[in-house]
Amino acid sequence: MRVSLVLSLGFLAGAIPMLAHHSFSAEFDATKTVSLKGTVTKVEWMNPHIWVYMDVKDESGKVAKWQCEGGPPNTLTRNGWTRSALKQGDSITIDGTMAKDGSNTCNATRVSLPDGRRVFAGSSGGDNNLPPAAKQ
Amino acid sequence: MNTRLHVGILSVTAVLCIAGLAFSQEPAAGQGKGQGKGQAQAKGKGGGRGGPVAPTGPTPRMPDGKPDLSGLWFRPYTPNMASGPAKDTRQGDPTGPKELPYTAAYKAKWDAYKPDDGDYTGACLPFGLMRSMNSPDPIQFMQHDNFMALLYEQNTWFKLIPIDGRPHAKNIDPTWFGDSVGHWEGDTLVVHTNNFNGKTRLDTAGHPHSDAMELTERFTRTDLGHMSYEVMVHDPKAFTEDWGNKRTFTLRTDTQIMEYSCEENNKSLWEGRIKVPKYDEQ
Repeated sequence: MRVSLVLSLGFLAGAIPMLAHHSFSAEFDATKTVSLKGTVTKVEWMNPHIWVYMDVKDESGKVAKWQCEGGPPNTLTRNGWTRSALKQGDSITIDGTMAKDGSNTCNATRVSLPDGRRVFAGSSGGDNNLPPAAKQ
Repeated sequence: MNTRLHVGILSVTAVLCIAGLAFSQEPAAGQGKGQGKGQAQAKGKGGGRGGPVAPTGPTPRMPDGKPDLSGLWFRPYTPNMASGPAKDTRQGDPTGPKELPYTAAYKAKWDAYKPDDGDYTGACLPFGLMRSMNSPDPIQFMQHDNFMALLYEQNTWFKLIPIDGRPHAKNIDPTWFGDSVGHWEGDTLVVHTNNFNGKTRLDTAGHPHSDAMELTERFTRTDLGHMSYEVMVHDPKAFTEDWGNKRTFTLRTDTQIMEYSCEENNKSLWEGRIKVPKYDEQ
């Protein structure tokens, strides 16, 4: 569990991704961040946000199913993403923020792609909304 | 500088370089290149922090000499129109008042607002004019002699504004985007909007307003690649005084407006993580 799923709880000052669609805090808790390493099982490249589904194994081999929301396809396209950037079977890591309802749902801030690139996965375009870690 | 910081900077650089690669230095069709005098020679280059650089050149003009505001405009995402922090939204507009000057009744509404209880935009309902102007997605301006069409990428909405100086329509139902009319003051297009339904909020932070709100927006295309935007908010039910924001829009010629269907896969609403708004509680 420790290697594959690192769940960090705590305050992140200003670490609030900006959604184009609705208020971030209506759905996600900015104080609960998560880093998920797993295998992509499905990608929904659709509005208002893309969704990435993944299997995340803990140290004992038990698989937990997660779903993570990214930005809208329009914003991601303008940031260099394509519909085929993520595919079933890809091994990726998603850094994000957990949903308030406690389900295995997250808002993705950054995604580490199979080729090693780490890309902005947030929901709004432009330099104005890059995640805090990237703005430092 | 730690490893994580290095990685963050590299990832941003990669994204911005990718975005910059496709940048075109020439205005594309419909980008307000204009006719007649002032036809632009676009100069600009991509790359660098902040992504593509807006093309430079004189303000394009219509055949009658009026500025041509047509083009695909990117705007600073403004989730909070106050300059100070608003609840859990960190980005404020530095040109706004530190706190919005609410009347006692609307200060109480603002203090009580919790997006968890139903942010109407999560249900894909219309953002309304002010929140649409504050959204992060671009707007395509299309200018005609007598009308300005604003095509919002956000949820594929549109607004048609008469700009020939006609008065507001009478005896029409209030709407999410209100009733807009425009006129020219020199090279500035002034748009006045009233007749709002009062169901919207000003920004992502959720600042409330009333159905008595009137907005006055001033659009001035200062050159080919930039447009000054000023908005004044007049709402005597909600605010003790008028206040406003001022921003600069940037022309993008390397991309085009895209479809945005909010309803297509709104899982967050369907799975109950966000709620449908209750207007009788606003």
